[in-house]
Amino acid sequence: MTDRSASDRGSWRLVARRDFWVRLRDRGFLISTIITLSVLSVLIVLRAVGGESQPSYDLGGIGGERLAQQAAAFGDALQPKVRITVHTYDDLAAAEAAVRAGEVDAAMAGDELIGDASVPGQLRQIVQGVAVADRIAAMLDRYDVTPEDRAAILSDEDPLDVRTLEAVDEDRDENGAYAFIGVLLLYGQLFGYGVWIATGVIEEKSSRVVEILLAAIRPRQLMAGKIVGIGLLGLAQLVVIAIFAIALALILGALPASETPVAIALLVIGWFVLGFAFYAGLFAVAGSLVSRMEELQNALTPLNLVILVSFFISIGALESPDSTLSVVASILPFSSALAMPVRMALGAAEAWQVALAVLLLLGGIAVLIPLSGRLYAGAILRTGGRVKLKDAWRAQA
Amino acid sequence: MLELIDLHRRFGDVVALDGVSFEVEEGRIVGFVGPNGSGKTTSMRIALGVLEADRGTVRWRGSELDAPARRRFGYMPEERGLYPKMRVQEQLVYLATLHGMPRGEAVPRSAEILEVLGVAERSRDRVESLSLGNQQRAQLAAALVHRPDCLILDEPFSGLDPVGVDVLVEVLRGQARGDGVPVVFSSHQLDLVERICDEVVLIHHGRVVQRGTIEQLRASRERRLLRIEVRGAADDWFEVLPGTEAVERSDGMVVLHLADDVDEQRVLDLARAAGDVVQFGPVRPTLAELFREVVAG
Repeated sequence: MTDRSASDRGSWRLVARRDFWVRLRDRGFLISTIITLSVLSVLIVLRAVGGESQPSYDLGGIGGERLAQQAAAFGDALQPKVRITVHTYDDLAAAEAAVRAGEVDAAMAGDELIGDASVPGQLRQIVQGVAVADRIAAMLDRYDVTPEDRAAILSDEDPLDVRTLEAVDEDRDENGAYAFIGVLLLYGQLFGYGVWIATGVIEEKSSRVVEILLAAIRPRQLMAGKIVGIGLLGLAQLVVIAIFAIALALILGALPASETPVAIALLVIGWFVLGFAFYAGLFAVAGSLVSRMEELQNALTPLNLVILVSFFISIGALESPDSTLSVVASILPFSSALAMPVRMALGAAEAWQVALAVLLLLGGIAVLIPLSGRLYAGAILRTGGRVKLKDAWRAQA
Repeated sequence: MLELIDLHRRFGDVVALDGVSFEVEEGRIVGFVGPNGSGKTTSMRIALGVLEADRGTVRWRGSELDAPARRRFGYMPEERGLYPKMRVQEQLVYLATLHGMPRGEAVPRSAEILEVLGVAERSRDRVESLSLGNQQRAQLAAALVHRPDCLILDEPFSGLDPVGVDVLVEVLRGQARGDGVPVVFSSHQLDLVERICDEVVLIHHGRVVQRGTIEQLRASRERRLLRIEVRGAADDWFEVLPGTEAVERSDGMVVLHLADDVDEQRVLDLARAAGDVVQFGPVRPTLAELFREVVAG
């Protein structure tokens, strides 16, 4: 016979493994993953398509082809970009035919800009502007202006410096969009996987399998394993979602290739781990207090409320990351996992605030995990009706 | 040897256990009997560590029972329960590993125990899809899969069909005789307990009121009873002999209780004088009768 007298300190790993794999194969998990990915895909595709709706024109050219190319380059340099595609034609008749057929929006021939019924306003402004610059260049050449001076005049695209009266991070709008998606995911993940812990606990309690489990391992091992297993699944799903979303956005060109989305994804993942560790024990306790799934809703109400309010404050923080409410919520451990990543994404969180929030959250975890372990152990074997917190606490004195 | 020593436990105002003590030796099968609510389940749950005793200890192989040793026990709780949506064998492998069996050993062992219990063809089904009888077998498999050092089974026979009962009897005997495992189980099927148990512990109102082998139990309660059937005699043929009393009578057959000073041979003479004696012999009380007597006080 094998020696199996080793201690049971590692049995939480067995529990975690089961909880991870059983749920990974669960249809509910598959569906929730697909829904999340679909919603994200729709958001990303909309954004990519929205990017394409930036103006773009087709411009024909014969003699003025040099100017047509300059117009295309000028459109590229504009903010937002105007895409001008240049088509070359052999003669005027071919160019006019192309305009008439709608193949191009306008054609340039010598000193003419030819449109069908009209020339689109923005295209006309760009082409005319380029033509003006071309004439100025020709004139400068005639008056022997030095190449340096000439370049100083013609190549300076922004001769005036722009100054705003309020100091705002230029990327805030863009980052706000990422932060919104991030906080949405965080909320769904923290609450969804928390509920999964609670229902997992009830499943064991209501099916009474908990009695043979607890004849083999201790309650705290069972609780720890469940939290770790389900938490790892939530983490894995979050990582997959983040990779999928960023890859899709890059492929579709919905995102400029920058490190911001990756940084925000890492923020979300990091705060998920901390927030989950904070809430998970409480979800386990809520599950252990009741005996049937139907009673769960009631037991979860306080927890549900705390997370929901934190979520709304965080949504508010997207607009006003520096308001007192946002700052306080981002530091208190009950809400920091949702509010702080938003403020960090917007560049509004100061280093000391982040440090304090992490410290408080870690402290909260250190207090809550043993506390919920005791309550869980006191309540898990009590069936028939709802267990009072007081009784659960005393049962493990 | 598993020893329960002076276990006390109250639930609120209700005294569930009031000093329960007994032991189960290696290789012995002990039947744990008593009326509903007498404390059987509470004693077993305390032995398994899922419930704390207010007072008293549980000892195993000479020292206080600790978690690592307890992990190697096999337990079938009164309230059955497995993961409803998990497949039978997968679940057994999981439970075996929780009890400390390496996975590589748990996989073949779970297949083996399902085979023994006659549910091998259901090993890939979800527990919730099994019939009650097969769920019961799966539950038994869960108690046995990790080759436990000690078996504690709460009502293992309830819900089993006669074939299942025979299989379980064989399994319990195999565990006790073959592997030297101490086995204790509770049951209300006293004929079964009488048939397979080496010892019986009778509990009532949270106290052990009788314990010992079936023979010892009988001896402690033995009264002199004779079953006599006489054809063609009057109903009251024995009444001329003082110290005899009919406990039961029907149709020419009578069960007599003899006072200590009455000679059986005198009764036989009397019976022969009264008619043709068809049957004459001592009545040995069944466990069920002993049980009723004890419970009635």
